Amino acid sequence: MIKKQEIIVYSTPTCPFCVRAKDFLKKNKFQFKEINVAEDHEAAQFMIEKTQQMGVPVIQIGNEFVTGFDEIKLKILLGLK
Amino acid sequence: MEYDVIIIGGGVAGLSAALQAKRFNLNTLVIAKEIGGLLNIPNPVENYPGLGATTGMEIIKKIRQHAEKFKPEIKEETVIDCKKNGNVFAVKTENSEYHGKSIVFATGSDRRKLDVLGEKEHAGKGVSYCASCDGALFRNKTVAVAGGNDSAAKEALLLTQYAKKVYIIYRGEKIRAEPMLAGQVEKNPKIEIITNTNIRQINGKIFVDSIILDRAYKGSTEMKIDGLFVEVGHIPSSVLAAELGVKLNEAKEIMVDRESKTNVQGIFAAGDVTDSGWKQAIIAASQGSFAAFSAYKFVKTK
Repeated sequence: MIKKQEIIVYSTPTCPFCVRAKDFLKKNKFQFKEINVAEDHEAAQFMIEKTQQMGVPVIQIGNEFVTGFDEIKLKILLGLK
Repeated sequence: MEYDVIIIGGGVAGLSAALQAKRFNLNTLVIAKEIGGLLNIPNPVENYPGLGATTGMEIIKKIRQHAEKFKPEIKEETVIDCKKNGNVFAVKTENSEYHGKSIVFATGSDRRKLDVLGEKEHAGKGVSYCASCDGALFRNKTVAVAGGNDSAAKEALLLTQYAKKVYIIYRGEKIRAEPMLAGQVEKNPKIEIITNTNIRQINGKIFVDSIILDRAYKGSTEMKIDGLFVEVGHIPSSVLAAELGVKLNEAKEIMVDRESKTNVQGIFAAGDVTDSGWKQAIIAASQGSFAAFSAYKFVKTK
């Protein structure tokens, strides 16, 4: 069973891997909240502190943070095959 | 099942080859790790005839839609091995093996790294290979772009939207971006170009805080920056082709003639992986089209 956890995608409007990450979540029918870190500086700071890096996308699933569009890691965390 | 042509790569060259191959009624398979290749970023492209000022992503979307109208088979898989058994090419991916009468290598290239101390440790921590992805996180910061090509100029211009200061650090005498881009860069008050200089080291406890140059700039070889964007060219993805006996030049690019033929019968190549001399979407599209034409002539005479 897939756990119901809040998913947040930290992204910028011009980032191609963010588009891919969001497409992946949509394709697998996961709802997610999107935060544009180019506009939301507090969220950007939070993301950088949590992941100790400055790249997007970052996908937060519950308390876990996935840096970049790492499909394998996402599949594991989302319980997908 | 034996395909007439297997196209490896799904960037402009590969998709253009697929479109044209289907118009020649060739049984066509495209295998690509991901459709779009390196152009699949929102950076501006302004020299593709008929499209005006557009972006890499838009071009890919349009060419993909156009190619898909002719229904080539597309597999999003990674090719791990290519062999020739008699007259048939066997293309192995992590999932399967496909057979074809001919191959088009449209495998493009990978980004070249700077290969200096501190680069690996700071990747994602101030060192970035994609200004359009990460640039917005450097608002009001000081950044540098390593490189002097078209991409470096475009990245620097994009970064001026966010950063307070953008240095371009280039090893050559004069940046080699196309004159129109170079002009925009030179006129931009936020950009400062430092030539005849190499980056030797990237420093920072966790995040980048400075770089070391091999030539003093304003009296110091250490330059305080918050981010470094690397745009120092590309390495052609030509290993699989070379294993089939395809001739490469010194830069490891596949050598092709004007009809996209390689030295090996039945093997063609197009786009950034070739020795075309100018890496542009419009060149890749033309070469891809020619590769399909040559594959058609080859398959027809078999």
